[in-house]
Amino acid sequence: MISLLRLAGVEKRYGERVALQLDELAIFPDRLYALTGPNGSGKSTLLNLLALLLRPERGRVWFGEEEVAWRPRQLQAMRRKVTLMHQAPYLFSGSVAGNVGFGLRTRHGAADEMQAVIEQALGTVGLAGFADRNVRQLSGGEARRVALARALVLEPLVLLLDEPLANLDEESTGIIERLITGLPAQGTTVVMSTHDMEQAERMATDVIRLNDGRVSPAMRRDLGRERSSDKVEICPPTKKHEKSSSTALAPSGLSG
Amino acid sequence: MRTAIDLILRLDQDVFAAVWTSLTVAGWSVIFAALLGVPVGLSVAAHEFRGKRATITVLNTLMAMPTVVIGLIVYSLLSRQGLLGFWGLLFSRKAMIIGEVLLAGPIVANYTLSAVKAADFRIVPTALTLGASRLGAMVQLGREVRFGVVAAVIAGFGRVISEVGVAMMLGGNIRGFTRTMTTAIAVETSKGEFAFGLALGIVLIAVAFSINVLFHFAQESRP
Repeated sequence: MISLLRLAGVEKRYGERVALQLDELAIFPDRLYALTGPNGSGKSTLLNLLALLLRPERGRVWFGEEEVAWRPRQLQAMRRKVTLMHQAPYLFSGSVAGNVGFGLRTRHGAADEMQAVIEQALGTVGLAGFADRNVRQLSGGEARRVALARALVLEPLVLLLDEPLANLDEESTGIIERLITGLPAQGTTVVMSTHDMEQAERMATDVIRLNDGRVSPAMRRDLGRERSSDKVEICPPTKKHEKSSSTALAPSGLSG
Repeated sequence: MRTAIDLILRLDQDVFAAVWTSLTVAGWSVIFAALLGVPVGLSVAAHEFRGKRATITVLNTLMAMPTVVIGLIVYSLLSRQGLLGFWGLLFSRKAMIIGEVLLAGPIVANYTLSAVKAADFRIVPTALTLGASRLGAMVQLGREVRFGVVAAVIAGFGRVISEVGVAMMLGGNIRGFTRTMTTAIAVETSKGEFAFGLALGIVLIAVAFSINVLFHFAQESRP
């Protein structure tokens, strides 16, 4: 089975401090991974690595069957299939519609039909009618939902979410949680970090626990089964998984 | 003073020729300085590279460079015996613009750099993760700090329009051609034409005041 993303022998440092050290980690299609661990355990660093926004000092990274060579064109093509929503997402100044359409414009330029797609995405996150609002007038929960709509509208192969449910009111939590759990069935693999173990158990198909920048073997779980091996091997592929991964993982220069 | 105001009110040809020359030279200079300084400021601020600190130190030093030194350097290049003497540009508006770009470019770059440093560090990664190219992310960064960039350009314009060293050394204060407000004030006052110098001084103060008002609004405005 082809993994969507694979890290091998990866080490990321901030100065002298080792932020992340992974022997091997693979992310497989159509799963929902919960990334847990205490503050400073390397969750955000791992998400940024998976988003190809950070380059490790050591180790190799594969996107599908293609090894990441960290060349600008290759990176751009790959990043168009992996989207990261930061813990405190940044919304560009201007309107909600301008933000949600940002990624679409980088791919297709400005197009008339984009408006309908934007409206639909906003409806999905419970913000129908917000298109013309200025982003500075939004509440924290609304801003996070706009950021989620901005990511979802791109239909990424992998959606990385850094603490997507932290500090949200009940309404926003319900909407976002429901949306996230439905994504793997639609062909979007999700990797989300969270502090809340109960939430992780409830939402995720797999739990990866980080501690001091390393994956805690005892806490790797796959659909409720405890794992003790050093590799994160996730469940055997289904027909749907094989189909979606093989079509989506065309060489980066030819698609995206 | 009365004569000076009279010169302004009856739109004296010499006064307004100097004002026009000042505005056009400063205008073109600041356009080129912005084309040079804004990308430099954005790039230096948004990238980590070896020698970044040294680059910022050089930019700061260039910002504090005396105008006569810039005039001297460009003069030595454009004079007949100079490296670029064959261009035949000395004592022309083009020569003045070259010197003024060297004066304003570092100012625009430094102010842009400061604006980016004060901006949100998530702008570039957000643009990249949404599929923008490196260049596209930099353009988006420029959009997000546009008020700071406008302030940088206005500061550059203010510096150019009020300086005398570069304009005098490279323009030569040729009446109706390279005579600017500042060079005219310096030369005409020394010749005893006090009213003429004062008239230009009043216009220059008005221009400087307008620039500062614009600068204030640009800095106060936030997206």
